[in-house]
Amino acid sequence: MTTTRHGSATFEFTDRAVTMQRKFEAPLALVFDVLTKPEHVRVWFPADDVSLHICEIDLRVGGEYHYAWYAPGDKECSFRGTFFEIERPTRIVCTWLFEGWPDDEAVETMTLTEDGGITTLTDILEFKTPENLGDHFQVNDGAQASWDKLEDLLAGLQAGRS
Amino acid sequence: MARASTTADVFNAIAEAHRRDILDVLVEGEKSVGAIVDELAIPQPQVSKHLRVLSEVGLVRCRAVGRSHLYRLNPASLRPLRDWVTKYELLWNERLDRMDDYLIELQRQAGKPDQHKEGAP
Repeated sequence: MTTTRHGSATFEFTDRAVTMQRKFEAPLALVFDVLTKPEHVRVWFPADDVSLHICEIDLRVGGEYHYAWYAPGDKECSFRGTFFEIERPTRIVCTWLFEGWPDDEAVETMTLTEDGGITTLTDILEFKTPENLGDHFQVNDGAQASWDKLEDLLAGLQAGRS
Repeated sequence: MARASTTADVFNAIAEAHRRDILDVLVEGEKSVGAIVDELAIPQPQVSKHLRVLSEVGLVRCRAVGRSHLYRLNPASLRPLRDWVTKYELLWNERLDRMDDYLIELQRQAGKPDQHKEGAP
């Protein structure tokens, strides 16, 4: 098993968007499947000690997806959204909500390209305003100024992985 | 849902574009309110308001010289932001690494990579 690409994702932060890129040594059609079929997402999405109790993907325009899991400490975390553009198997545009914050909905555009058996995933998360990205930086559900929640979430996701 | 005040922390303080512009101007060095106003062409009351927010979260420091106030960057206060970005990258890198391993495993199980063609129905 090769691990040479581990840690190789690149991130670019701008005013109100994050652009992530990552290459995989797999054909495009397989990467698309792994990204969009619940039986695959259940395997790779959560960290080792966490499992998704909700993993629904209704991959059609107007269809919705919803992933939810419990971080240690029984904190429920979730991503959900609605698909509004699907070009199998190269492009998906959907809305993206973390922990169900209607105010901070972002638009996610996932694009796949393949070159010589290597597939590149480009994932752009674009918030409506810089303030929404700011909210995300803060990950705060009330008046208390902290990003503890995200920290807990990250700790939860990373628990069991050194 | 209750929103945090804009002065709550570094993250919200830099979410506002003009405040980031002010920080960019101060990267060059210590400046008076007037010099910032001239460079950014933002009205002085607004610049003062933004500087107050930036001061409250510790992003800028202020000292009085004669009758004017000079503002300078306090880079150490950007640490939480850098830490957050690092954590975000780490989280996603780990998730994508799991996907990578899974893709390799799927292809190994299939014997050879091109047996997996059921991608687009």
